Amino acid sequence: MVDVAKLKEIARETVSRDDVKYLIGWRQGTFGFRAAPHFVNKPEDVDQLIFSPLCSHNLATYLTGVEKLPVPRGQEADSRKVALMVKGCDSRAVVLQLVEQGYGRDSVVVIGCPCQGVVDQKKVEAKYPDMGENITAEWGEKTIIFNLPSGKTEVPREEVLAGKCLTCRYPNPLLADAGAWEEVAVWGSDDYADVQDLEAGNPQERRAFWEDKFASCIRCYACRNVCPMCYCEDCILDRLNPQWITRAVNPTENTAFHLSRAFHLAGRCIECGECERVCPVDIPLMKLNRKLTKEVRENYDYEPGLDPEAKPLQASYRPNDKEDFIL
Amino acid sequence: MSAEYQPNIVAFLCNWCSYAGADLAGTSRTNYPSNLNVIRVMCSGRVNPLFVVNALQQGADGVLVSGCHPGDCHYMEGNFYARRRFGMMKELLEYVGVEPGRFNMSWVSASEGAKWKDVVGEVVDKAKEAGPFKQFRRDKINW
Ligand code: SF4
Ligand code: SF4
Ligand code: SF4
Repeated sequence: MVDVAKLKEIARETVSRDDVKYLIGWRQGTFGFRAAPHFVNKPEDVDQLIFSPLCSHNLATYLTGVEKLPVPRGQEADSRKVALMVKGCDSRAVVLQLVEQGYGRDSVVVIGCPCQGVVDQKKVEAKYPDMGENITAEWGEKTIIFNLPSGKTEVPREEVLAGKCLTCRYPNPLLADAGAWEEVAVWGSDDYADVQDLEAGNPQERRAFWEDKFASCIRCYACRNVCPMCYCEDCILDRLNPQWITRAVNPTENTAFHLSRAFHLAGRCIECGECERVCPVDIPLMKLNRKLTKEVRENYDYEPGLDPEAKPLQASYRPNDKEDFIL
Repeated sequence: MSAEYQPNIVAFLCNWCSYAGADLAGTSRTNYPSNLNVIRVMCSGRVNPLFVVNALQQGADGVLVSGCHPGDCHYMEGNFYARRRFGMMKELLEYVGVEPGRFNMSWVSASEGAKWKDVVGEVVDKAKEAGPFKQFRRDKINW
């Protein structure tokens, strides 16, 4: 459970530090059941910070998104830290970014926020359509409480939680420099039922399923841009030479794009569900990512973002790795 | 023109073992199917998994990646990395509906000319069974 007042206190202390550039957290959005990322540059901006079931954004993606401008001669590079509020899943992204040396441990201050699950916009919007004004929400005992215009409404959390939260096994931050919290009890377990459903079918069924989904992709790359683990400076999707995937939006290139994206996240996807959340055409990207997560967990006994000492999956091997598929 | 369908298979062979093994099969005058288009690479660990996707896009009906047996890699550990990558790539391809026979990986050492023949036979048979690949082939190559 997070004590938001105490969290704000910690945030205030953190932004006041000389060696901290700014803090990234969440604030209430402007309409519907929305929260928004909040960049706290001054201690007085802390008041707008929230931590509620609406805080779906994985803010870790901002840590790698900062443009590194060349430093003018005679000036020193800004070496101040960035402070970041993380939920359980977000903290795995930070751990993995550190493992991959995306940035140094001394350039970030992590503020842990144990999480009781965030809402899925699509589920709440289906439940309460056409909500013009902004709604706040809070956690209850196994419920989510919405402060609707008609009054407080308590909903069992199974009805509105995002899919990733229903199966969440790491709601408590795995890495934190500070935090105002007691650990929450883990409620989820994961049997990869969604992946198994599809695996049970024959190749034709799977092909038909994915052809249909991939055909609707508009290649906006929102899924890549939001992903905390997609931070290559030179992404193959932007490259012209070699041009792995042409820019045509058609089933061929879309399939190649989806295979590339999923594969580049093999052993790296920390299941924050952001890609699926931002997809404008509702492609079930988690169903694709989780296939690889499942393989990685079953065959290589590896879960990304748990252990700051573990080597990345594809940069390591075991002599007895699975090889039953090799002729 | 034979009526039987002949699959087009792209094979990435590592310079030190599989390529030499295929060479041995050739110099020993072994008879084996000629459906393979061989691309020599320095190590199976050099094969980017996207090569497989790209080959399928550009006209391959099947792909084979072949390297040294574990422990025999000229670069000590290249094939260990390849094994992880392609184990996952194979699962991913099958998950989106690519027939299991289209992507294969094998270990063939420089002295295994006979094994090379068997591997090629198996790979070609599997590709024949799967039929022409249409799922995500490009209509226009190099448009
Ligand atoms: S996956 Fe877990 S940590 Fe992440 S938002 Fe859901 S409940 Fe919270
Ligand atoms: S966000 Fe959705 S539509 Fe956009 S590129 Fe990704 S999968 Fe395609
Ligand atoms: S692929 Fe999706 S779920 Fe996985 S880390 Fe990226 S945004 Fe999160």
